[in-house]
Amino acid sequence: MIRRAVGRVIGFLRSTGFAIALLAFTGVWSMVATFVPQGDAYEPGVMAWAAAHPVAEKITGFLGLHQAFTAPVFRVAVVALALSTGLCAWRRTSVARARARSLRRAAMASAEDLIADHDLEIPCSRALSRSEAETRGAEALLRLGLRTKFDHGVLASVSPWWAVLGSPVFHWGLVALIVVVLAGGLVRSEGLMGIAVGETKRDAPESYRVLEAGPLHSWKRIDRSIRVDGFETDYQTGSIDRGPVPTVSVLDGKGQVITTQRVYPNNPLQVGSLTIHPAEFGFAAILTLLDKNGADLGSQTELIDISQETSSGTVPVEPLTLNDAGRQLVVAVTVPMERSGEGLAAPQERVAHVEVFTTDDVLVTDAMMAVGDELMLPSGSKLRLRDLTFYSRLNVVDDPSVPLLYAALAVALAGLAVVVFVRQQIVLGAYVEDGDRGTFLMRLRLWKNVPTNRAEIESELTKALNGQADEEDR
Amino acid sequence: MTTEIVLMWVALTCYVVATALFIFGVTFTKDTLVRRAVGASALGLVPQIAALAIRWVRVGHGPYIGYYEVTNGLVLFVVAVFVLVAWRNRRLSAVGVGIMPVAVLLLGGAMLAPKGGLPLTPNLASYWLFIHVAFANLAFAAFVASFGLAIAYIVRKRSANGTWARRLAKLPAQEVLSELTTRFVLAGFLFWGAMIVSGAIWANQAWGRYWGWDPIETWSLIVWVVYAIYLHLRFTRGWAGERLAWFAVIAMPVSLFALLGTPIVFNSIHGGYIGGKDG
Repeated sequence: MIRRAVGRVIGFLRSTGFAIALLAFTGVWSMVATFVPQGDAYEPGVMAWAAAHPVAEKITGFLGLHQAFTAPVFRVAVVALALSTGLCAWRRTSVARARARSLRRAAMASAEDLIADHDLEIPCSRALSRSEAETRGAEALLRLGLRTKFDHGVLASVSPWWAVLGSPVFHWGLVALIVVVLAGGLVRSEGLMGIAVGETKRDAPESYRVLEAGPLHSWKRIDRSIRVDGFETDYQTGSIDRGPVPTVSVLDGKGQVITTQRVYPNNPLQVGSLTIHPAEFGFAAILTLLDKNGADLGSQTELIDISQETSSGTVPVEPLTLNDAGRQLVVAVTVPMERSGEGLAAPQERVAHVEVFTTDDVLVTDAMMAVGDELMLPSGSKLRLRDLTFYSRLNVVDDPSVPLLYAALAVALAGLAVVVFVRQQIVLGAYVEDGDRGTFLMRLRLWKNVPTNRAEIESELTKALNGQADEEDR
Repeated sequence: MTTEIVLMWVALTCYVVATALFIFGVTFTKDTLVRRAVGASALGLVPQIAALAIRWVRVGHGPYIGYYEVTNGLVLFVVAVFVLVAWRNRRLSAVGVGIMPVAVLLLGGAMLAPKGGLPLTPNLASYWLFIHVAFANLAFAAFVASFGLAIAYIVRKRSANGTWARRLAKLPAQEVLSELTTRFVLAGFLFWGAMIVSGAIWANQAWGRYWGWDPIETWSLIVWVVYAIYLHLRFTRGWAGERLAWFAVIAMPVSLFALLGTPIVFNSIHGGYIGGKDG
């Protein structure tokens, strides 16, 4: 009973109707999703759309169309599609193996094999000798686009055995692709890490401001750091302006540089499964706290983003907190930018506006500071602007599945290319003596990409071998 | 008006003449006109290629960026593939009556679009751009060829033994037309797949992710799915004849929308290639 039920489920999953329905669902779902704002319910675009389309929102919200490609409905469909494709690939593999065996046998077939197993018998004109019949047969097949070779008394135009493997290889490639994409999500990590020029950060969760990591991503096996060595605001390669470009190093656990390079779009830094791209950039203010006697109490880096929405043109990524003789203070640094048209430009003489607040957001003190300037704090200690430089927000991706994904894509495309370009055919012909006249025996398997059909072959060979062709020519 | 634009108008004129010759040749069953129409199509390729070459030198990149350039590239491949097919199999020449109007409408639209050269943005400056666009153009040309063949099939089928069946009598048998339609769909399916794959590899290089469900990416997948359905219906459900031909006719505009419509309709990180928003 269980076996029958499983059989039914498998039968349903591998049915072509189900596969087509899944494809249609995927297509329609994706189509609808492109017209619906994507994101969580609190994103401004989603909220605005929901307010403007209250009736449609009930349906889209229920179906999860605002997060269409992570919605359970879509995920179930993708998994079902993978299963359906796998079962389909299995069935195609069986067919392809049988055909491949036929092709191997056909490649070694003799005239005796054709006498035992053939599809067509074409009587030849009595006037034709064996060699004439074979030559005419080959010429007739060539006219139909079938180039033959003559071996062991057999005219043969047989595809290589692998010609029939294209379709199963393509489908297995797709199965592998879906599996790798789903599994890749479990081991992949992707995050944004802001690093000031000269600063080094460990590749660990606490170094990221935004991080998404799959449940199987192991941080324990990672022992490396990332450093930003330099920053060019206007880097050019040839005639192409690459814009702001950081130079990034990856260091091993002992602090040894593994690799260093400039990173910009289309030129990521890659080390094993790690890929680093530049996402954004901004300023970095390095502040040092000095006690009353001028002793260094430690430095902190404040990252500052460029923002069109603020009067200064910049906004701190995250204000710093510091301990001023037992009192918690919050430090917010901005860098006044120059407006240029609709954009912003860094001023020639860079200064930072340093504001110090209490934790209740009451301004304690503030000052415009150049590098080296000091700001007196209430306790008498000082805050020195040690450096004002750039920082680069790096998109750091660790995804060991990418090479496998590319391999799956390559396999799928290679299979598809075989389906599209390689013929799948067995065309065998042999002349046999039959009393006082000869007969041309043909074995035909015309599976795919064959430029002719059985009827045309029969007609053309009949014309060529039994004299009708000569009569027509006359 | 620059030499480049003059040449492009000459090319468009050739294609318009070819379209008119196809219509008259097929309508009045004049083989000579149909042959001349193929000749006019081939002739139009010369000024179009020359214009694009001049532009390539001037702007420093191939026809990849902006509506004018992208559409030009598509039309070039559509016409070139058609001329190649008609040259290899003269009996298919009359299919041009379904293909050349598409080329004329697209190129006519491009001639009305802004023609200023757009620079390569850092995101687009990659050798993957050439590969990605080449596969997109090849795929679209194959889909348009399948569209033309399917149109010819439907017209002749609907006419049965009537006027249009006689007008299109020189075309190969219906079964051959149907088979050819499927083969062009298969070729387009392969090239479209290669376009998606090259785009995914490139996206990983440029942005650090191979797939992001961006509207343009999503629509490229939709087109692939649409043609996958076509191929399943053909090879596993045994669909043939007119309804399959209708499928090929309806599917082609979906691919056109994916290539030219999506960057205009949707805000997309890819939008830069058509002059829209570039992430």
